Amino acid sequence: MRAPSRLLGAAIGAVLALSLTGCGSSAPEGTGQVKLTLWHNSADPAPLLEMYKKFEKQSGHKIELVAIPSDGFEDTTQTKWATGERPDILEYHATVSGLLALNPAENLRDLTGEAYIARSGDLYQAAGAVNGKVYAAITGFPQVFGVYYNKKVFTAAGLTPPTNFAELAAACPGLKAAGVTPVFESGGSIWPVQILPILYLAGANQSNAYGKAIAGRGATLADAGSPFVAGLTAYAKLKSDGCFNKDIVTAKFEDSMKALVTGKAAMVAQHSDMLPALLAAAGGDQKTVDESVGFVGLSSDKPLVTYAPGPIGTFYLPKTGDAAREKASLDFVRFMTGPAYADYITASKTFPVLTDVPDPQGVPSVLQDVKKAYDTGAVIAFNSDIPGMGGLAQLMSELIAGQKDPQKAATQLQAQVEQAAKAAGLPGW
Amino acid sequence: MVIRNRAAWLLWALPAIVLVAVFFVAPFLLNVRFAFSSWTSFRAEITWNGLENFRTLIDQDLLANAVTVTVLYAILCMAIQNTVSLSLALALQRTSRINTVFRSAFFLPTLISPLAAGYIWRGLLAPDGAVNTSLGIEWAWLGEPSTALVVVAFIDAWKWSGLITLVYIAGLNSIPKSLLESATVDGAGPWTRFRRVVFPMLAPALTFNVAVTLVGALSAYDVIAATTGGGPGDHTRALNVVMRQQWGQGFFGSASALGFTVTLLVIATAVPLVWWLRRREVAG
Repeated sequence: MRAPSRLLGAAIGAVLALSLTGCGSSAPEGTGQVKLTLWHNSADPAPLLEMYKKFEKQSGHKIELVAIPSDGFEDTTQTKWATGERPDILEYHATVSGLLALNPAENLRDLTGEAYIARSGDLYQAAGAVNGKVYAAITGFPQVFGVYYNKKVFTAAGLTPPTNFAELAAACPGLKAAGVTPVFESGGSIWPVQILPILYLAGANQSNAYGKAIAGRGATLADAGSPFVAGLTAYAKLKSDGCFNKDIVTAKFEDSMKALVTGKAAMVAQHSDMLPALLAAAGGDQKTVDESVGFVGLSSDKPLVTYAPGPIGTFYLPKTGDAAREKASLDFVRFMTGPAYADYITASKTFPVLTDVPDPQGVPSVLQDVKKAYDTGAVIAFNSDIPGMGGLAQLMSELIAGQKDPQKAATQLQAQVEQAAKAAGLPGW
Repeated sequence: MVIRNRAAWLLWALPAIVLVAVFFVAPFLLNVRFAFSSWTSFRAEITWNGLENFRTLIDQDLLANAVTVTVLYAILCMAIQNTVSLSLALALQRTSRINTVFRSAFFLPTLISPLAAGYIWRGLLAPDGAVNTSLGIEWAWLGEPSTALVVVAFIDAWKWSGLITLVYIAGLNSIPKSLLESATVDGAGPWTRFRRVVFPMLAPALTFNVAVTLVGALSAYDVIAATTGGGPGDHTRALNVVMRQQWGQGFFGSASALGFTVTLLVIATAVPLVWWLRRREVAG
């Protein structure tokens, strides 16, 4: 009996010693190497994950990745954030509305003097900055919102992809006659159903005019004849005309990608960061994606794409009070925006945001379509600077279920905007 | 003797009192103030703002619907679970090898995470899922306003009925056989025996099961989140679902107000309900 007791004691001692070693956030003393916690989006592509490893290798620091599911990404991040827990590095939205919800002046480190900002053109005029202070390090090309379409389906139906809502409505009957779902919407994932109304508003939001008017209290979403109500009305009309899939309420965005690739659906309104999901839906076969999927801009009346700086590759440095870890996390930002950035662009085959880094070679054709549409005409998403717009997706669910008409939905969302704008202390509210 | 008994009583009750005090009463009292505060993620200051959070939730058409959905859902869950579980308990009361297998089978869902259970059923009930395929129909069980809430309540019942069944079986087995035999000798048939003897004698089990299922469903979140996310529209948007949405948008004061509402609802329902059921036990 005594031997097993001694063994048990030794085992418990060993486990305790191991756990205590594992609990510390810093590596052995004197090495200057620390463990950094990085909250990241679970949709981070492989080349970005590879960059984290490269940083570990180069710096000797360790990165503990905490994956935040891309479904419900904002909710989950906010929930963790609200507990007072802070990572050393936070991957999150670069939109002003997303940034305001982090209370940046209180919680984030000011990166205004960093070298990458001067190399980013006017990127930080519209994103990652509040009250003249830059808090973000944006490494990913903005999310470009538009319409993915199945080339083969359109060719077979003898149609061209629509670039405005009138053309979209007109294309529906022909596509339905060909036995495909004209537009696949995924209400089961909730957030994708807000994309089409946001696309509609690109026409009214050139130079961010509409977004600024709402955020600055110059107009309300529910004004008579407001572009927002018009967008919701156009969406409701598409639904009543049968342009969407029957399982619009339950379908997930993965279903939409699959339906598009397989030709069961002709179009999906999505953004460019969903390309890995599109590739996954094609079984990882890039050739299938290139041959079957194209991308086009769409708004109320013009071929415009809508863009928003996305969370993938956008980093913030929360204040942690730990000098060693704060130094290491700043090193991380400098690494991501330094010489290694060109390698990342080459590996990820995405377009750079740093102006001195060249475009990569061998970019997939669908991404070339995205860039072409972006260069032709891009408008920032109207909701980028408006706090309290997080309820839009939920209201779209009610609109789809027929519980709210466009005017009522606009009135309710305006109330949420007011609630958030007052809370954020925006000028004029 | 009395003092000794009281000391023993306190000793036995102490762990439960400590647990309830530390994990329920203290957090509740410490957090209740946030329901009346301007706490948001947008700024660091938290100030008293009276009933402003409740007014905001009412103005945005969120509170009334959430309370209605929550109460309806709780009643459905309680009714379905108790009906199913009592039937199962009557069928599986006798201890035999085959009944043990079935009891274990019905108990298994209790061990599954509610989120996992929700995801499994979401897949099965999808328009192109196994249920529709086997029935040869096309119906969005979780996407139709008319069926969504009832279907989610059934999923919750599937998840928890095994546990409730065990409580009923324990209750059934505690009924003295002599009582049932006397009733049979007096000419009572199966239905009369159930109505006049079994059901009244099950009163303690019924009290526990009704209270647990109702109160549990009032604070529902996980199964709803995994199956419908509150949809279609707001047809399954229970209080805790709205709370999560408010929290996710950084409106922590409003979220706390919803949490406070859930607590009030639980207290307002559970206390009179348990009181009434206990009185019924005594009367029976």
